[in-house]
Amino acid sequence: MKTFKDLLMVSLTGLFARKVRTLLLLLGPMIGVAAIIAAVGLTDSAKGDLKAKVNKLGTNLIEVSASSAFGGQDPTLPEDVLDRARSVVTVKSVAKVHELANIVVTPYNEAKDKYEAVPIPVLASDVLLPSVLEVNLISGRWLNDFDEQATSRSAVIGIGLARQFNYLPGETRTIELGNIRYGVVGVLSEVELEPAFDNAVFITFSAAKADFVDTDKILANKIYVRSQVGAEKDTSEALKVAVNLGGPDEVTTDIKSEALQLAAQSDQQIKLIVVSMGILASIVGGVGIANVMSISVIQRSAEIGIRRALGHTRSIIASQFLLESLFIGLLGGICGVLLGIVSIFLGATIAGWVFVLAPWLPPAGILLAMVISVIAGLYPSVRAAKLEPLETLRLG
Amino acid sequence: MLHEPDTDADVSQQQPANEPYVEPLLELKEVSRVYGSGDAKVYALRDVSLRIMPGDFVSIVGPSGSGKSTMLGLLGCLDIPTSGTIIVGGKTVTGLDDADRTEVRGRTIGFVFQQFHLIPHLDATGNVETALLYRGLSKSERRRRAIESLDKVGLGHRHEHRPVQMSGGEQQRVALARALVTEPKILLADEPTGALDSQNAENVMELLTNLQSPERAVVLVTHALEVADAAFRKVSMRDGRIVSDMTRVR
Repeated sequence: MKTFKDLLMVSLTGLFARKVRTLLLLLGPMIGVAAIIAAVGLTDSAKGDLKAKVNKLGTNLIEVSASSAFGGQDPTLPEDVLDRARSVVTVKSVAKVHELANIVVTPYNEAKDKYEAVPIPVLASDVLLPSVLEVNLISGRWLNDFDEQATSRSAVIGIGLARQFNYLPGETRTIELGNIRYGVVGVLSEVELEPAFDNAVFITFSAAKADFVDTDKILANKIYVRSQVGAEKDTSEALKVAVNLGGPDEVTTDIKSEALQLAAQSDQQIKLIVVSMGILASIVGGVGIANVMSISVIQRSAEIGIRRALGHTRSIIASQFLLESLFIGLLGGICGVLLGIVSIFLGATIAGWVFVLAPWLPPAGILLAMVISVIAGLYPSVRAAKLEPLETLRLG
Repeated sequence: MLHEPDTDADVSQQQPANEPYVEPLLELKEVSRVYGSGDAKVYALRDVSLRIMPGDFVSIVGPSGSGKSTMLGLLGCLDIPTSGTIIVGGKTVTGLDDADRTEVRGRTIGFVFQQFHLIPHLDATGNVETALLYRGLSKSERRRRAIESLDKVGLGHRHEHRPVQMSGGEQQRVALARALVTEPKILLADEPTGALDSQNAENVMELLTNLQSPERAVVLVTHALEVADAAFRKVSMRDGRIVSDMTRVR
């Protein structure tokens, strides 16, 4: 231990005694590591906003829809779809909706001519929908159990529709759904994972059945499920079976964040090219270290000789030089990481990206610099150890 | 130039038979050192036997090419002989591997060189401390001993100076302090005054003379006769052989 402490001291003294040389040696690994960090960081940062969005919205929202097998109309999910979905153990929460077809929505009766051409989806939905989507209301409230039981004509509208209809927050307004007047009780905020909801009208299942459906039952044709994080794919597959079992219609599932996640992937090819260049720069830096250290061994041969005469063994001498190159790698790595981080920060700021730095990058960069420096230091160290004191001391 | 034994001085044979046996600090037994091979074979040293006793102040003299440098390398365990045996402090070093030989060297022998060989980026104390590294000593203990050793050679005021800031004489005294700090049994000095002016040379020679003690041996390798004359025992070499080995009565 004491020997190691002594070695550490000798190596550091050796490095600090030749500041300019040490600085020049640092440049190689430093530039290499900085290039790698900046390359990875900038390609990540370029998609950083999308990544942040994925993280914010969550990756675990799954849509389960009914689809008819042979062009049948209005496919539906089984009546006990919620229980069926909950039977999948990785399902955390679930809400059902029914998309109603062909309902003309207008803000008021007189505007009918203007709005008929543009279909606006009307959804019967259950009270849990906002909590499953993890969205809030901009104003007012969501449909509640009272609305459902009382078959009240309450409606919640999406934010896009609210803008389109010039709806003011808190304003008491009505909306015409196929000539039936509904009271707007709330406005839903933006649903980024289901943008169609921004221009939709939500009413209760009971009201939908009473006003718009002729059959005696109204069944859901779509459910939204939140699964355990990481189990999205398995849950999605399990839901298909669980929901569809024994039913006449087919079931399709869609992990809502998948497209977004794909878009958030960094450009792997550009990353690969720049990282390769960074590694190349590090290796060139390593060759530089090997070169300068070899010359240094020749320059310091008298020092090595006297150390050997004073009783320092070959392995001590080799360790001394190897430690010097290890420190060069460590210092160069740290400087490179800092330079890389500054580059990402500057690049991201100028381009208006979100600063992204993978936590494994700085330690990996420092490690790479150290490994390359130690490999580069091997040959000079062995050469230093092999020097014969008699030859270097030039006895008179 | 061959140096003949100084016949004016009183001389006597080494180790009179009536004195009790004292173990030599260093002994060469029929040592040869050959460089090259085949036709290019050169005998730098041929069947040389020599004993360095505690309290010896020996000078090894001879013209260049006489084998005295080879001799110094072998005495200092910096080199291994082609044949023969070297015993240092009762231990045969000729069979040892490099690491063990290095250990014996560090423990028993102190070196002083013509070119001082101080490490340029270390100050005087740092240079002296170098000899104490890797011996399990704390930094403060190393420093204390280094300063003590510098004080002994009269450089108490130059602890923090680097070699470039010191005169040749001062540098050689730092080298002496470095050689002495490990309290070696044998001090090997190779042309210690070769790079010094006469005044500094005189000072260094005076220091060396005072360093000789009943337990320690001082060995000077030189071609300068006036330096050799300072020693009590003079070993003259020529063509790789010892031609005379005289001891002056003190």
